[in-house]
Amino acid sequence: MNVVTCLVVLDEPIKGVLEVKNYIDGEWVESGSEKYREAVNPATMKPLAKVPMGCVEDVEAAVDAAKEAFPAWRRTTPLTRARYFFRLKELLEESFETVSRVCTMEHGKTIDESRGEVRRGIENVEVATGIPSLMMGYNLEDISTGIDEAVIKQPLGVFACIAPFNFPFMVPLWFMPIAVATGNTYLIKPSPWTPLSMVKLMELVDEAGFPPGVINMVHGDAEPVQAILEHPGVKGVSFVGSSKIGRDVIYREAASRGKRVQAQCSAKNFLVVMPDADVESTVPGLLSSFFGNAGQRCLAGANLVMVGDDEKFIDGFLGKIKKATQGIRIGYGLEEGVQMGPLQAVPRKQRVLGYIERGVEEGAKLVLDGRKFDSGAYPRDCFLGPSIFHDVQPDMTIAREEIFGPVMSVLHAGDLGEAIEMMNASNYGNSASIFTGSGKAARRFQYEVECGNVGVNIGTVAPMAFFPFSGMKDSFFGDLHGQGRDAVDFFTERKVVIQRWP
Amino acid sequence: MIRTAGQLIALHGLLEDRLAETLRSLAQLHPEAAGVLTRLADESIQHRDMILKVYREGVTDAFEVGYLSRPMDEDGYTVAEPKGSLGEALRTALVNEDTVIRFCRDAAEDSNQLIPGLPQTFLRLAKRKERRKAALESLA
Repeated sequence: MNVVTCLVVLDEPIKGVLEVKNYIDGEWVESGSEKYREAVNPATMKPLAKVPMGCVEDVEAAVDAAKEAFPAWRRTTPLTRARYFFRLKELLEESFETVSRVCTMEHGKTIDESRGEVRRGIENVEVATGIPSLMMGYNLEDISTGIDEAVIKQPLGVFACIAPFNFPFMVPLWFMPIAVATGNTYLIKPSPWTPLSMVKLMELVDEAGFPPGVINMVHGDAEPVQAILEHPGVKGVSFVGSSKIGRDVIYREAASRGKRVQAQCSAKNFLVVMPDADVESTVPGLLSSFFGNAGQRCLAGANLVMVGDDEKFIDGFLGKIKKATQGIRIGYGLEEGVQMGPLQAVPRKQRVLGYIERGVEEGAKLVLDGRKFDSGAYPRDCFLGPSIFHDVQPDMTIAREEIFGPVMSVLHAGDLGEAIEMMNASNYGNSASIFTGSGKAARRFQYEVECGNVGVNIGTVAPMAFFPFSGMKDSFFGDLHGQGRDAVDFFTERKVVIQRWP
Repeated sequence: MIRTAGQLIALHGLLEDRLAETLRSLAQLHPEAAGVLTRLADESIQHRDMILKVYREGVTDAFEVGYLSRPMDEDGYTVAEPKGSLGEALRTALVNEDTVIRFCRDAAEDSNQLIPGLPQTFLRLAKRKERRKAALESLA
């Protein structure tokens, strides 16, 4: 028996078309909105769910429930709160494969990518179980004779997350576990394009027995977002999405109402290859960075900068990149072995196609044309092969704007200084990587580059759950980032107590 | 060709399942060896789960863990149905064990730096499976 003949499409956990409901006050409830959108599997184009677009009343009900749950929840001991997350973690482990497959079905990413996403979500839950230690304040006796001073960390109330389509499971878990473990109550608004991973999470939240109102979910689009931003009961908002919405809507509207805001936004990530880079380990790192998740992540490589004038090295390196890229297997993410899935929806593919056309118009050399990809048995709607542009100039549109798709733009810099200058001229500052064998070059890069997440011989600079997901310039609006100690501070007030007992 | 971590884990699972299945059917045909064969079949399932656990706990969207350092050819790993007398069937079972040992060693090498703990676990299984061969040989 050739066992590999069994490696076919994995079983789909979603059968038929789901009617998606909100989860408010521990109950599944219908939305007050009469508008719906169809969530579609981008690989097969089969409908997966009917998603309500949400309304002000939905948000009001969820915030009311969260406000009502807050006093008792903040009085629940941190250890007890942590134990809810231990239960949630256990349930997530049991449902690991199902949740991963749901994620692939609604987003299109490969099953390995979904499993990786789910794992990173679970890691945030794991970090939250350490809240009794993470939430500790600090104190000092005798700041003056017989007087002691202490900082205590207290929850604030109701927080909300407005989640993107590209990591439908992981992103809400960057925020919710720490928010809730520190004693706040929570409202998640998933992307209407990819709501089902969160539906699965809420089923597990319900099973874990979190008290009603502690964690809530409202589906929808712009109307519930606006309602969250305007609601006086919401103390803070976490957002992941485009810079335009993050800056002009989320940050502006929420901050002007005195809310805490962390808006993690768009990116244009540069990956710099020095002439002394280790070719064998760099090529797979670059492939994963540029084409993983079909390029739809804020940490995706966008611009590849080849440094120096060693034409033999550069030509050989780029030849290997092209050859390896041509070998990427594209298809339905539920097929084990597929390395790149479709884009998440038709408008996203259209957007990427627009950029490819723009690149050609502006004179970049398209050496690999992803538009020529044949999707075989699957509908073409969302599939697009990887594209590579050579001879890209820094002022070209494809070098400056976020494409959010599987497109690599190759630029050249005479030396490291020129490469850093090129990067620092970008509006964005999410991540940047250098591939080199030189500690000196790496240190200079880390020191001078203006971006939040820096990689040295790492293609995808994804901070783990116990570190903050950083970001600078137009890639982040706010002060404290998601994840890590930043998250604990974002979700708590540091109250200072000075006391004397005469 | 096996190119991704998920594919590698799936193939390992199929090999272990197949190994367990063949050992169980052998146990039914030869009750005198059923104790050892059933224990080995159960152990195969444990081995499958050990790898699955390491994979699930280590797979991440961060870093470059999705792709193997070099693709593996799945056609090189076949688990055959043991047939004939107990002696003949055991010879096939031993070849099957060797196949899975080879797979574990190859997987350890090709998954190097793929997922923390994965290569080590494959090597640990390869070592354990060597001991299984001794148990099978003792039945002959």
